[in-house]
Order: sequence, then structure tokens, then C-alpha cells
Amino acid sequence: MPANWWTRSRHYFLYVVREFTALPLAVWLLWLLVEIKRAGDGPARYAPHGSAAFVIFSVVVLAFSLYHSVTFLSLSGLIIRVRVLDRNLPSGLITLAMFGLWAVASAVIAFVLIWFAR
Amino acid sequence: MADKRVTIQATRYDPEKDSAPHLQSYEIPFSDDSMVVLDALNYIKANVDGSLSYRWSCRMGICGSCGMMVNGTPKLTCNAFLRDYWPRPIIVEPLNNFPVIRDLVIDMDDFMHKLKSVKPWIIRKQEIPLGAGEHRQTNEQIDEFRQFSECINCMLCYAACPVYGLNNEFLGPAATALARRYNLDSRDQGLKNRLPVLADSEGVWECSFVGECSVVCPKGVDPAKAIQQTKLDTTLRFVLPFGNRD
Repeated sequence: MPANWWTRSRHYFLYVVREFTALPLAVWLLWLLVEIKRAGDGPARYAPHGSAAFVIFSVVVLAFSLYHSVTFLSLSGLIIRVRVLDRNLPSGLITLAMFGLWAVASAVIAFVLIWFAR
Repeated sequence: MADKRVTIQATRYDPEKDSAPHLQSYEIPFSDDSMVVLDALNYIKANVDGSLSYRWSCRMGICGSCGMMVNGTPKLTCNAFLRDYWPRPIIVEPLNNFPVIRDLVIDMDDFMHKLKSVKPWIIRKQEIPLGAGEHRQTNEQIDEFRQFSECINCMLCYAACPVYGLNNEFLGPAATALARRYNLDSRDQGLKNRLPVLADSEGVWECSFVGECSVVCPKGVDPAKAIQQTKLDTTLRFVLPFGNRD
């Protein structure tokens, strides 16, 4: 395989872009671990990164993570097979259920975070 | 129409004479709108250059032997119409990711070994005597695996898969789709015989879901789906106490 194989087609290119969006996500999560460690060391040590550049970086990373979540959950209907009364549930229903679970989990996490921040 | 011509650039490679494959250009009559790339190759072989080597058999998208790269995309040449490319030249090359034996002929041994390793046939713990009658299936049971049974082993999916191109130890799309076909068959009891190959480090977990295998499949099989479903199956069998069905 030549090193530039991913430039051969649009599909390959988009695949590589998709894979590379995981890198900034990993960097952001590492930074989150650092912030959690600082928060654990007490209020005096806690100084969250609040620069405009970091906020922009966070928004971009949020967009990447939403992209990964949507593509992952959209495929769930194709991959997960649930048999009810000897028949497979329609894939659309499974996808919808996964998005529903995602929304509920996000709401619960948001509630917990807001509750503890009060 | 009679004067219309098309340029075919075909890979030529004789391992005894050439150090590397190269393209040779042929200009041939494009006499009929229904002509496909395979017709053009057959014309070249019959009228221009009898030494051109390539595989083909049925000419109707069933045997899977005429797969080649047509303008960079894996295609069955019996299903690639010249009218879709004309007036541009058409570049015909051997399938990507396989060693080339000669001209457009690839060495398919690796795929044949992989196919055999997943035991793509019905395995019974105990064979039922022929006299005991047939294994009956409902339409729903057939629908479970029908799509995956359409695979014709044309290997276009392997030529499209960069994961296989980068690591040819990977089991690959078609072999997994056919393993899935038998694992989903209500008559089959061979799942545990196939799992060691499917769940191996070079099995389904090597796939990073490029998805191009399903795009190029000429029979509408979805090998990417078969691979992702197998990933889920092997995971559930590993983590759930009741996951190990026979």
C-alpha cells in the first residue's frame, strides 16, 4: 500500500478524517483528567483553563464527539439484533431507542453536574 | 456508432521479463452501447494481442472471476459498461492488495485459505441420515442469512479494504460475511468451530470500519455489517454468562 492510499478516494479520505478527529478528543480528555486531579487537590490548586483558545478548542472537540456519537448510534440499528416474539425488531426502532437512551443519559449527567455545582 | 473508439489501458506484467507491471494502451472499436470492459478485453485478446492474460467465466455477474480495478475502483468487468467511462480512457489493472501472477491475473491463494479457515459450510454435531428428511426452515429463518449468502467470492471487497492492504493477516470482509451466513443459519451448529478464527486478533477486531467493502460489493452484500455484528456477538458471548450458545 502506498503511503498516500487515503487520497485515492473521497470515501478513504473521510474515513481518515473521522479517525483523526479522535486525536483532539483524546487530548481534551487528558486535559480533563489534569483538571480533575487539580480539583482534588483543593480549591487553592484549582485553576480551570479559561482562555478563548481553549474554549474554541473545546467547542471543536464537542463537535467531533457529537459527530462520533451520531454516526455510532445511527449504525446501532444495523448491528444490534433484538428478537421479540421470533421476529427481529426494526432497525429504525433500535436506532431511535439508542438516541433516546443517549438523551436520557445526557440529561441525568447534566442534572448531577448542575446539582453538585450549586 | 461504428466509428466510435475507446482506449483501454491494461496492466501488462510478465514476471520472467518485466521488473514491474506497466500499462499498455489499446484503441479498439466501441461498436455497441452494451459493451462492457470484459468485452473490450476479449476483443483485445481475440483481435489485437492474444498474450493478454485475465480471468473470466460467466459474463453475467455470477462467477465472480472477472474482478479488476477499473479506473481505480474494484469492479466486475462484466458489469462495468464502457458507456459509463467513454470518451475517457479506461485503465484496467489487477485487483489491489493481491500479488500479481501475470497481467491482470492475481494470486488468490491467501483468500482461499482464509475462506477455508471459517468453515463456510453447514456443520452439524450429529449428521441426520438422509432418510430422515430435509432440514426445514421458515422464511424468517432464511431471511436471517440470505443477504450474506449472495457473496460470490469475487474479492472486490478485499481490493477495496485498506485494512487488508496494510495487514494481509486480517481475515477480511468476504470470509467474515460467509462465516456470518452460516452462523445465522438455523441448520448450522458450527459457531464454536468458527469463533477461534473470527475472534482472533487478526479476525473481526482488526476491522476499523472503513465501510468501502460494502460500497463496492456487486451483489449488495454488506460485509461491514457482518463484521460489526460479529464483533457484538463475540463480545456478548465473552461478557454474558448465558452468552455461549452452541
